[in-house]
Amino acid sequence: MTDAVLAQPTRLSLARRVIDGGGLWPAVPALVYLVLFMVLPIVTLLTFGFVTIDRGAITDGGFTLTHIAGVLGDPLVWNLTWRSFWIAVVSTCLTLVLAYPIAYAYGHLKGVWRTLLLVAIISPLLTSALVRTYAWIVILGGRRGLLNQTLLSLGVIDQPLQILNTSTAVVMGMTQIHLPFMILPLLAVLSERDRRFEEASLNLGASQVETFFRVTIPMSMPAIVAGFALVFAVSYTNFIIPQLLGGGNYSTLAVQVYEQTIVVLDWSRGAALATLLLTTCFAFVLAIVSVGGRLTRWSEVRR
Amino acid sequence: MMRKIKASSAQAMLPIDRFARWVLIAVTAFSILLLIGPSLIVIAISFEPRAYIAFPPSGFSTRWYQAVFANQQLLDSILVSVRISLAVMAICLLIGVPAAFASIRGTFRGRAALNAFLLSPQMMPGMVIAIASLFFGAYIAFRASDLMLILSLSVFCLPFVVRIVMARLADLDPLLDEASANLGAGKLETFVRVTLPQLAPAICAASAFTFIEAFDNVTVSLFTSDVRARPLPVELYYLVQFDSSPIIAAISSLEIGLSFVVMLIIAKAVGLERLGR
Repeated sequence: MTDAVLAQPTRLSLARRVIDGGGLWPAVPALVYLVLFMVLPIVTLLTFGFVTIDRGAITDGGFTLTHIAGVLGDPLVWNLTWRSFWIAVVSTCLTLVLAYPIAYAYGHLKGVWRTLLLVAIISPLLTSALVRTYAWIVILGGRRGLLNQTLLSLGVIDQPLQILNTSTAVVMGMTQIHLPFMILPLLAVLSERDRRFEEASLNLGASQVETFFRVTIPMSMPAIVAGFALVFAVSYTNFIIPQLLGGGNYSTLAVQVYEQTIVVLDWSRGAALATLLLTTCFAFVLAIVSVGGRLTRWSEVRR
Repeated sequence: MMRKIKASSAQAMLPIDRFARWVLIAVTAFSILLLIGPSLIVIAISFEPRAYIAFPPSGFSTRWYQAVFANQQLLDSILVSVRISLAVMAICLLIGVPAAFASIRGTFRGRAALNAFLLSPQMMPGMVIAIASLFFGAYIAFRASDLMLILSLSVFCLPFVVRIVMARLADLDPLLDEASANLGAGKLETFVRVTLPQLAPAICAASAFTFIEAFDNVTVSLFTSDVRARPLPVELYYLVQFDSSPIIAAISSLEIGLSFVVMLIIAKAVGLERLGR
């Protein structure tokens, strides 16, 4: 498209070409900004794990592995990493199971129903995660909690359930709060998909269920992988939801990073933990993407 | 297994399909309830007349809304948040819109790398951006403050502006700019009178989106905001932990109202479907 424009016989001098549309220069302010306020800070974060910091000042400039070793040698840290991982995996799987039917239904809806569904998907996305976490405190909280009130009055249970301040509460909150992140990539793929493959499958005698599992799902695999990786990453690194729904004694790797940095003010340990959080998150996301890539290839061969 | 029933036409519903359809409808209904239910509950309990949470509310009163507007600390934090969000919006528009230009119209090598870099903050967990800003600030003797919050939130919000404006730019016809140039308009005039008006809806939607993201962000705010002038998300974060009155529900309902205003703006400007891409 742009090539065609350039190919037109408008002879531009080098100077004009520099200030003309095709150059990098309009992005320079943003690039400088990101280098200054994202890249340099992250480099600082990664180095802070290897030096000794006291009250925000590097006291011992020398390279040391004490803090990283301290973190890696701590069984508690590994327990919390393991917990963060499982909570993220379970809630990401749940979001996928809940998101897929919505995205699928969206493709089959028309007119005002379609718009209403879109509003239901987008409005939580624009609502503060804190507000939505608070809603879960209201729903799950103690004896007065909505869920307990309802179940008690229906006679399903005779003792209030203790859900708040457990992993279950954290998983429930995360699943609901990150649901739109999973729906959006699926929506884009499922609402614009080529229906002819499904029709072909139906005409060849496959049931709708078979068609769904062997045509629709494989074809939307790239969006599933993208949504899965995104929701996993935000769940794995979220510390607000575990803190508020898990209660005071509940901790995950991300909660530890927050507490060491903001409450305990041990920045060396905080930086070492943050480095661990970032690298493990990155490794898991890479694993998801590569497994997903393999699944996609498999489906292409089968198709 | 299903092959046996090959004789039946594709249109006829198989028993398994009928069952699957009900499962699909049930899960979809549950998911929709899950998406909007919690927010509706919060709105309902904000009208509770008593001093503790109950659902359904025991009556109707606007007492807790009055309490919000009588609470100076809360009002101050709302003001801080509005100021900060407007600044974030300005920064993101100033650097994000031109960057989207280079991303779409650029003919240089490495354009894909530029795109990836501009959108990379989205891949970065908010907590990492926040903690990194805090440490880097400390390193250059710069404390957590309004300015630090603005600068770190702008990193976080930049991809939203870039993405929304890029999507619109990709739809524009570059020949219109060419026509303007051929008719004798200068580069600047073409930009101001031809390109910018076409981009206005996208810029409007991007502004609204950036504003609400900055306004609502609690992760980055907890790390980099000024301890003496807390923005609303931080104030709310402490309130949620230590207060159990419906006043939180009232503030939350106001925030939900704000998110609806933003949604309306985006829907009017570029359509909600755009956000999904």
